[in-house]
Amino acid sequence: MKRGWFCQLHAIGRVGINMRNTKNKHSLLNDKKLTYGLFVLPGFAMYCCFFILPIVLGIYYSMTDWNGISPTYNFTGLTNYIKIFADKGFRKVLGFNIKYTVLLVAGTTCLGIFLALLLNSKIKGRSIFRTLYFFPAVLSMLTVSLIFNQIFYRIIPVLGAAVGSKTFSSNILANKNLAMYGILFVHIWQGVALPTLLFLAGLQTIPEELYEAASLDGANVIQKFRYITISYLLPTLSVVLVLTLKSGLMVFDYIKSLTEGGPGGATQSIALMIYNHGFVQNKYSYSIAEAIVTGVIIAGVSAIQIKFTERKKVQ
Amino acid sequence: MTGKWMKNLLIYAFLGFGAFLILVPLYICIITTFKTEAESAISFFTLPKSFYLNNYIEILENPKLYYAFGNTLLVAGVSLACNFVIMPAMSFAVSRSMQDSKYFRVLYYFLLIGIFIPFQVRMMPLVKLMSGLGILNQRGLIILYIAQATCESVFLYVGFLATVNKNLEEAAYIDGANTFQTYLKVVLPLMKPIIATVMIREGLAYWNDFMLPLITLNRSWKSWTLTIFQYNFQSEFSVDYSLSFACFVIASLPIVIFYIIMQKQIIGGLTSGAVKE
Repeated sequence: MKRGWFCQLHAIGRVGINMRNTKNKHSLLNDKKLTYGLFVLPGFAMYCCFFILPIVLGIYYSMTDWNGISPTYNFTGLTNYIKIFADKGFRKVLGFNIKYTVLLVAGTTCLGIFLALLLNSKIKGRSIFRTLYFFPAVLSMLTVSLIFNQIFYRIIPVLGAAVGSKTFSSNILANKNLAMYGILFVHIWQGVALPTLLFLAGLQTIPEELYEAASLDGANVIQKFRYITISYLLPTLSVVLVLTLKSGLMVFDYIKSLTEGGPGGATQSIALMIYNHGFVQNKYSYSIAEAIVTGVIIAGVSAIQIKFTERKKVQ
Repeated sequence: MTGKWMKNLLIYAFLGFGAFLILVPLYICIITTFKTEAESAISFFTLPKSFYLNNYIEILENPKLYYAFGNTLLVAGVSLACNFVIMPAMSFAVSRSMQDSKYFRVLYYFLLIGIFIPFQVRMMPLVKLMSGLGILNQRGLIILYIAQATCESVFLYVGFLATVNKNLEEAAYIDGANTFQTYLKVVLPLMKPIIATVMIREGLAYWNDFMLPLITLNRSWKSWTLTIFQYNFQSEFSVDYSLSFACFVIASLPIVIFYIIMQKQIIGGLTSGAVKE
């Protein structure tokens, strides 16, 4: 019987390993340590160099007065941070962004759960609906906002005028009070797709018997939703909240391509402000300090929110 | 019985309305591309009178499109391949050593820190760092994408591996397999659903990313990706929006076709592996 060289090699290797194993258990342990080390090394090195190092550099630059171009700069300590907390512009932008995020999180979560419940019901053609409802997530944010930009600019005003509505007969993105809702609509239009799918996955972990048992005990629809559905969806909810929170506080693509922060700075978001300060106005170190303050806010809110859902889960 | 009928009707009504909201913008976008500039200015919803193809011809004759397509494919493909080689192995090592080793536990949290740090903190120093290393190009972008995907990939893989029964691995060790063999032959196949999830998420993110290519590749048009191509095209031809819509359609076409072919796997992959606790 002739065996391929690979099989032979493999067999020899196996015998070798078996012998090693019977000799002492330490060799397997060493093998484990070595392999684990090799597995971790490349990813760890890249993460340190191209993820952690820029953050550390950023923290350092945020304590200087560098404009990003000139060869020399001074170390200024916490001056940039003190300036930020005194800056009315920053507070105004932060206020807008928090309002935007609250509405986004509320809208996305409620709509996401609602759509997931609909898409989970036993109806004909539900896989077609699922495919369609996830479709917006496949497109790039840039494409979506550029399309909606044209729709808001050219189509909605004509429709608004046709039905005789005064508010909708002009571009709502140019309206100081409504521009935010226009952006929110686009953001939710695309941003709800992934949470919906995640909630759908969460719904599928709920055992059917639980609902039946609850019905036998005389629970109504709202009680079933409150005590069964929501408690099974909590892990998903936690993930969705963190994701949406971050996408709301750091919103950039939509605002850059829909309003550029206008009209009159009414829709200026933090990320856009950082971008403008850093790349357009050459306030390099100041913009990094702004980014760090925002990062601390995001981390803090996320931590509180995770703690909150964890506690709920235990109960 | 009538109650159930009513309920289904309501569900269809809501889902139909949502589908309408999703489809109308896409419909407008597509039909506009077949209209001349003059026709698109007067009618938005009607089908085009004659199928005007010059918008598409003009874009397809643009050599920048092919460079952009090639670059996007290269960057996304290589980044995904590297992610597939590096991340599951790293997560396996972290997941299986975390209980015994303090170092690996610290490492795990160290790898997760990035989830909460907004991109803007890294943005400016990153450009400086990369221009210093001379890698403000496609290769540099690939490295950035791999590093950037670490947090999310490790988080999802380690979470999934915690639910995988260790009996199979132990059986492999008893049979004399070494750690590498055990990983390759036993663990990796078990990780298929979560790998699909991560690959789809990262793949979409790489393909559609705008910000990183904007700050790293927006120099020579030979290194543009599809999103940069669209963005620059739009600023160049902002008046003629039938033309820019045609550009969006062509730039999105590859990913849309991919989605239509793979929809079962994508929806299935995302719903099965997404959140396992």
